[in-house]
Amino acid sequence: MSARAKRAAACLALAALAGCATDARIKSAIEEVNREFKAQYEEILSTQGTREFRAPAAETFPAVQAALTRLGMRLESRDPELGYLGFAAPAPTPLNDEEWQMVAKADLPMMQNLAARHIGLPAYFISFEPQGLEIVINATVIAEGRRSEVSLTARMRQVKPPPSGMPRRDYAPPTGVRIALEKIWAEIERELKVKGRPI
Amino acid sequence: MSDSAYPDALPGQYRLHWYVLERVLGQGGFGITYLARDTNLDQPVAIKEFLPAEVASRRPDAAVRARTAEHDERYRSGLDRFIREARTLARFDHPNIVRVHSVFEHNGTAYMVMRFEEGETLAACLERRHALPEADLMRVLLPVLDGLELVHGAGFIHRDIKPDNIHLRPDGTPVLLDFGSARYALGQPRTMTILVAPGYAPFEQYYSTAESQGPWTDIYSLAATCYRAIAGRPPMDAIARSKGILGSAKEVMVPAAAVGAGRYSESLLKAIDAGLAFSEQQRPQSIAEWRKALHSAAAPAPAPRTATPASRPAPDPAPQAAARRPGWLPPILWAGAGAALLGAVLALPQLMRPAANTPPPPAAVAAAPAPVTPQADDATRKRLEALEAQLAEERRRREAAERAEAERKRVAERPRPAPVASQPAKKPPPAREEAKPQPVPVPVVTAAVAPPPAPAPAPVPAPAPPAVKAEPRPADPMALAEAARARGDNAEMVAQLRRAAAQGNAEANFRLGDVYATGRGQPQNNLQAYVYFSLAALDGHAAAGPRRDALTALLQPAEIQQADRLVRERRRSSNERKG
Repeated sequence: MSARAKRAAACLALAALAGCATDARIKSAIEEVNREFKAQYEEILSTQGTREFRAPAAETFPAVQAALTRLGMRLESRDPELGYLGFAAPAPTPLNDEEWQMVAKADLPMMQNLAARHIGLPAYFISFEPQGLEIVINATVIAEGRRSEVSLTARMRQVKPPPSGMPRRDYAPPTGVRIALEKIWAEIERELKVKGRPI
Repeated sequence: MSDSAYPDALPGQYRLHWYVLERVLGQGGFGITYLARDTNLDQPVAIKEFLPAEVASRRPDAAVRARTAEHDERYRSGLDRFIREARTLARFDHPNIVRVHSVFEHNGTAYMVMRFEEGETLAACLERRHALPEADLMRVLLPVLDGLELVHGAGFIHRDIKPDNIHLRPDGTPVLLDFGSARYALGQPRTMTILVAPGYAPFEQYYSTAESQGPWTDIYSLAATCYRAIAGRPPMDAIARSKGILGSAKEVMVPAAAVGAGRYSESLLKAIDAGLAFSEQQRPQSIAEWRKALHSAAAPAPAPRTATPASRPAPDPAPQAAARRPGWLPPILWAGAGAALLGAVLALPQLMRPAANTPPPPAAVAAAPAPVTPQADDATRKRLEALEAQLAEERRRREAAERAEAERKRVAERPRPAPVASQPAKKPPPAREEAKPQPVPVPVVTAAVAPPPAPAPAPVPAPAPPAVKAEPRPADPMALAEAARARGDNAEMVAQLRRAAAQGNAEANFRLGDVYATGRGQPQNNLQAYVYFSLAALDGHAAAGPRRDALTALLQPAEIQQADRLVRERRRSSNERKG
């Protein structure tokens, strides 16, 4: 859409929708989206959030670090004694553009429909705003004898507020979480295979 | 610089023209600062290397390059600005502004050569002392204001004032450091990604345009620094404040007038609250204006310290402020008026992006300072009192450890023969050392504002540098952590605390929790803080449980499960070792 078309659509929407959304309704809309995204996020984590590897923690720990770094995540905290690694990167990393488009295609309509229950038509003009957000990934590696268990969680960290100054939702889009987890697990497996160990 | 805490740093003994790098002094979002030796003048210097981690990285040949072609323009632009900034800063000759000697390009990046100042940062001082009395605070603040006024007068704003960037010389005089995120010329747009210090950066600094930034931006950061010095913690981050004001979060910032009531003069607290006004229009607009408010606090006889009858926030000067500097909210936002428009703004961020360049904080934000109830005041005071008592106890323990460590060092170093350089230096140490004692590479840690009870390290007589480090010795990791903290070596402090924590030391676990909860010395990380507070609580540390519980509100349920699993595992392995 060209800039002129965007402006025209915005003016049209403003004119048509003035008076439709109140502060309270916006807040309810954000809460509803948060609730739904959180529920789906936790469901995804319950099945995809933890993996066991046939490698000792001493090998898995650096493999996790290498894998996440290769996916574009920046190492923020490394605590080998604890088995903890913290990463961050500007959203939508670790997803690439193509994957991000898939996320928008899958999750945006859901978010719009959820918000529409509270604010009506303006909800259909909402889009994801990864700008000013960082994806933070917590990885833990726990020794299980000669095996190790890796667990991942992800959150969004705001480094710049949206232009409206309004609060953002707290949870990442579920499809994004799912794709990211699949990528990360595959990358860790690849990393461990490189070291010659069967997964 | 084999320190793994700085993987991007150039190695020790690396030569940049006639400067030989000795060690990393610190790393920020825009670059790395090294302690180096000017081999021509034979004196230590601080060299800042431009290395904005977000857009550039170090290559194996030591060159710095943009991470991708897309980043190249931003990197070039930032580099040009870094060089321009150094040239301009070199014009300032003020005792409270860091002295810039030179700037040069090398390795595809640029290096700013500055005078090396001994002492410690205000952050380190505050970490040790928790809070500063009013007289000490004013001794730091007023000279910084003088320097800052000069900077503002030349069209600069610092944009990164925080305790870490105020250095205290051994004689107690402050120096404003690290104009690393300073951006030239008020009103010019910034192209580099913002990098702000949470708690010390005002709301307007979270935006990439410079129109809403000015001296009032630095005034906020300096007021936040004062807040830290009286409250023992920085003020609430501006984004969190915006949420509180919007009503979408429960927390609101407790004003300095409440936090410091009874301990500081009312005029000082009012001036701090005025500097911390959420809307930039409500803040003093110039250093001169703010100094007036502070001057009564700086008078020889400070205001009586009796408890103030009421803890109230600074008066709301909204009407005057609105008249003073219009244009905060873009006209298009006013046109719609009201809640419907707020809804539209939320709903149309993508479509409205051109207008979004000038940030429109909601009307509620502009009008209202954070409300604080008397109950909240009381609760805050009680928490502070409890915290202060606990910190006093910790301080006593730390000071005892410091004294023990200083004594141990003296004993360890006494019988040593003349120092021998551990690495081949590229140039032999100069004979001038004998005539004029040179500072050793490690900054001498002194309490600039008020000396601690522990004896200060004795001056190093005059052996040739680099000074030989004390042998690695089997010692109590807690004492080593204290010694590292005292000399500002956070990486070493954390390493030693981890050693002690691995041995099941509850205090070490608690202090690690505090490091990660506050982000002092390590990136702030609530999950790690939760783990360490949990471990400390399990080992019977009384203060750890409440700290851990407070973090649960900030973590996802999934993160708490993840953290709890780590705690169980750590306990299990610890018990196995003991068993």
